Amino acid sequence: MDITNLPIRKLNTLFSKKELKPSELYSQIFDNAANSEASLHAHLTLFEDENIKKAKESDLRFDSGTSESLLDGIPIAIKDNINIKGYKTTCSSKMLSNYTSPYDATVIKKLNERQTLFTGKTNLDEFAMGSSTENSAFGLTRNPWDTDFVPGGSSGGSAASVGARSSVAALGSDTGGSIRQPASFCGLVGFKPTYGTVSRYGLIAFASSLDQIGPITKTVDDSRIIFSAISGDDPRDATSIVNNQLDIPSDKTAKIGVIKELMGDGISDEARNEVNKVTEILKSSGYEVKEISIPIIELAISIYYLIAPAECSANLARFDGVRYGLRVDGKTSYEMMENTRAEGFGKEVKRRILLGTYALSAGYYDEYYGKALQARKEMIEGFIKAFNEVDYLISPTTPTQAFKAGEKTSNPLEMYMSDLCTIPANLAGLPAISIPTGVTSDNLPLGVQVMSRALSDDSLLNFSEIIEKEVQFNQQPKGWM
Amino acid sequence: MNYFQATLRKKLSKDFDIQNIAKLASINLSEDEQKELDNDLSIILEHVKALSDLKLDTEQKEIFIHPLEKELELQEDKLVESLTHEEALSNAPESKDGKFVVPPSME
Amino acid sequence: MSLQPTIGIETHIELNTNTKMFCRCGVVDTEDPNISLCPTCLGLPGALPVPNKKAIESITLLALSTGCEITRKGMFHRKNYFYPDLPKNYQISQFDLPVGLNGELEIVIEETTDNIQIERVHMEEDTGKSTHSGSGRIESATSTALDFNRSGVPLVEIVTKPVITSSKQAVAYIEELRQLAIDLNISEGRLEKGNLRFDANISVAPEGSSELGTKVEIKNMNSLRSLERAIDYEIERQTKAVEDGVEIIQETRHWDENKELTSTMRSKEGSADYRYFSDPDLPNMYLSEDFINQVKSSMPQLPKKQREELVDTGLTLKQANILSKSDVWIKSLYFKVHKQTKDSEASFNWITGELQGQMRKSSIEKLPEWFSYEYLSEIIELIKNSKISFTSAKVILSELLNTDTTPNEVAEQKNLFQENDTDKISEMIVQILEENQDVVDRIKTGEDKLVGFLVGQVMKQSNGSVNPGMAKELLLKKIKD
Ligand SMILES: [Mg+2]
Ligand SMILES: [Zn+2]
Repeated sequence: MDITNLPIRKLNTLFSKKELKPSELYSQIFDNAANSEASLHAHLTLFEDENIKKAKESDLRFDSGTSESLLDGIPIAIKDNINIKGYKTTCSSKMLSNYTSPYDATVIKKLNERQTLFTGKTNLDEFAMGSSTENSAFGLTRNPWDTDFVPGGSSGGSAASVGARSSVAALGSDTGGSIRQPASFCGLVGFKPTYGTVSRYGLIAFASSLDQIGPITKTVDDSRIIFSAISGDDPRDATSIVNNQLDIPSDKTAKIGVIKELMGDGISDEARNEVNKVTEILKSSGYEVKEISIPIIELAISIYYLIAPAECSANLARFDGVRYGLRVDGKTSYEMMENTRAEGFGKEVKRRILLGTYALSAGYYDEYYGKALQARKEMIEGFIKAFNEVDYLISPTTPTQAFKAGEKTSNPLEMYMSDLCTIPANLAGLPAISIPTGVTSDNLPLGVQVMSRALSDDSLLNFSEIIEKEVQFNQQPKGWM
Repeated sequence: MNYFQATLRKKLSKDFDIQNIAKLASINLSEDEQKELDNDLSIILEHVKALSDLKLDTEQKEIFIHPLEKELELQEDKLVESLTHEEALSNAPESKDGKFVVPPSME
Repeated sequence: MSLQPTIGIETHIELNTNTKMFCRCGVVDTEDPNISLCPTCLGLPGALPVPNKKAIESITLLALSTGCEITRKGMFHRKNYFYPDLPKNYQISQFDLPVGLNGELEIVIEETTDNIQIERVHMEEDTGKSTHSGSGRIESATSTALDFNRSGVPLVEIVTKPVITSSKQAVAYIEELRQLAIDLNISEGRLEKGNLRFDANISVAPEGSSELGTKVEIKNMNSLRSLERAIDYEIERQTKAVEDGVEIIQETRHWDENKELTSTMRSKEGSADYRYFSDPDLPNMYLSEDFINQVKSSMPQLPKKQREELVDTGLTLKQANILSKSDVWIKSLYFKVHKQTKDSEASFNWITGELQGQMRKSSIEKLPEWFSYEYLSEIIELIKNSKISFTSAKVILSELLNTDTTPNEVAEQKNLFQENDTDKISEMIVQILEENQDVVDRIKTGEDKLVGFLVGQVMKQSNGSVNPGMAKELLLKKIKD
């Protein structure tokens, strides 16, 4: 038995029974990282030295039977767009390569209160903009299943870290699929909670109305444990909400919908097959499954690529070389800011900032951003209608399996298309999860996505656990442990 | 037409001007970058154009900032200590006498 | 062709809240730079805004007291522009849904009132402060130093419609607005501290023309005096330009306090394009009926109503206006003294004239504890009953401000009670007439005015204890006999 393969609840039991020490798990996790890091580059920073001390403190708590948290001593990797006080937070950008955060994100505070251990900061597409983790100023991350392939993105480092068992679980952020898509590409569970259930305070914003922090884990239960630890209303985030969960049945009285628009053109046979495989299993277990149409989903990418860049154009305006981060000199402040931003941002970030700036500029607002807001409203209503008919909506998580590094870097639009299935949940603020269900002929994993009503995260996790059990996906990447 | 619409309808130029956009975004683009980004943005804009043709029955509906239509909560006017002076300046590229220093910014 | 100026004024009022608009850092009045900061007001990556309830109450109070319609369903927008003292490089402000719309404010000039139409009242945040080293223009400037203590302090912006027609009206408007803010206790209202800052939009057009001329924005007016001068200067400049056939360009001009002229400001960008869009960090703001009623119930008496009450006591509008713009203790002192003396003129003159004058001269900021308003009433009564002279009354008042005593005691001690005994005064007059025979002769030939000189002599001789009216009467009688 490799301990780094075990789910959190099992590890906690072993700790409690004194059959395993957190510090032992921690050093095993670091051995895995040492083995894989050179090939995968999942992390930007590893915290080994600092955290071995904390692991020993966990040992003592379990020794004395005073541990109270399921996450006590559990090593978790953190996407490098989430602030941890005293550590660098780079967003994989040259802009912030020397930036040390003077404060903790709310999720970090919450995990600290539960004595979680942090293994390090994981690589991402610069400022979480991308779907392959190739847009990192510090080098790309590779897929632990096959290093020729991308791990997905933007939380590719987090997914690769958990995939290679260099951490037990990881936090990612999901703006248009950045948790679910890499989870699917790396054979993991990726959960994007209902918008507002997890505080965004301390998460470096990409698109504020879409961003949500969530876990990437090996099992649905691990995601549940982390979600319950990090969720809750936060007075520092005006968009955060009280986590009052709706109770929706997950047993076979639940009705399942397959989203018609996400099963057609642009979806690979393999991705479609995974959905069909799951719905067949559900049907045979007695669930009612039917096709649901939400036509506006066909416009999801257009809506998203107006709203997200518009918000990002303002969110990333603060990176100007004045108070922190990179500074490239200029004769005046204005020149300094222009030079700093020219040098500090990578191509994809510039592309989106400019797109957003244009969409918001005088004369184009109505045509682009204003229209996108209205279409978004229509999408939210489309989902409300769909959920009048069914309780859960199933689709592929990604149109295809992981692609090869370099394969989609030349055409931005083609890269954007890989978020087709995941974007709608962000636009509507809904909880959505990717569950690994199979491997393709290239021996790469693929997942299916399940969505449910806003604030039915717990029910969604319960239902996902049923799929997880039925599908029995128990493969893992080889060679890192 | 209200104040808001009046300002927005004041169209500048119908042409997509990468230089002007870069200026607004405060990014000093090289000529090569300008060419490349101009091309990229044209492709993306061509794609999102699909939206302009969309007929929506939500035109007159209230737009919510929060996807779940949460209402803004206000916070009490009570002091909370935060960064120390040293922490505030800890990442400053340049500072002097407790202030951040930048190249001249006079108008 | 006669040209008519049209002026609109934008005023920013700094609120007197304990904490900033979108974070809970203190609003501080200090020279120590960068000591009241948090990730939010310093624009650190990942920080989020949460609005201040007190600030929203204050702006609602101001909007209600200017008769604005309250926007029940409002929101915050981002106003995007790059400037080193603006930490996020966008200002959180309001755009199409400000807290208040379409109000008015009554102003007073001499004995007439006018209503200034208000277009909007909205909430926003202040920037940091820049100090430029090197001198004069940008070419010779060497660097700019930034203090962000002021960053995020709540500002209410009040925009008038273009309805002001003179610098006098503009000054009266700012005076009225300042007094309103003070009476509502929402701002310190101190111009010298920048609690109130104003810009003016000025244009000229032929009288009777239905269209406005090209408007020019004037900035950097730091006092009422500079507001008045800058407007006068600009009207003259534009009038001359039109008369000379020179085109007026739409621009922002800077008022130079020393040179007393306006000059074109360097413009950083071609044309301002603020790319306003709804701030995704701040959900829609609904002001409930309960909230509005609660704010209404806290509304104090407004300056306009105060003036009406003061006019009812017998004051002229101009006098009432002066009192309504005085400190609270002066207003209440007036009402108390007036209640006793029933003499509005004397009460007004003694309080706003002599009392305030003496206090200013002696740098007394507060009335001494022993000083009772009844002393003023007594003084007024003593004069009215010819018990003391006006000159003596001044002496008494001065004594009362410095010593714990009463008007009667002072008059007694200093022997200031007036001589009303005809015989004693006549005796004194004989002597004076003898000593000034030449003056007497001139009076006899018709130079009646010179009798004042003789009264003065009598007063001098008697140390002011003679009733001057009686002295004059007796003098004339003696001379003409
Ligand atoms: Mg303003
Ligand atoms: Zn602050």
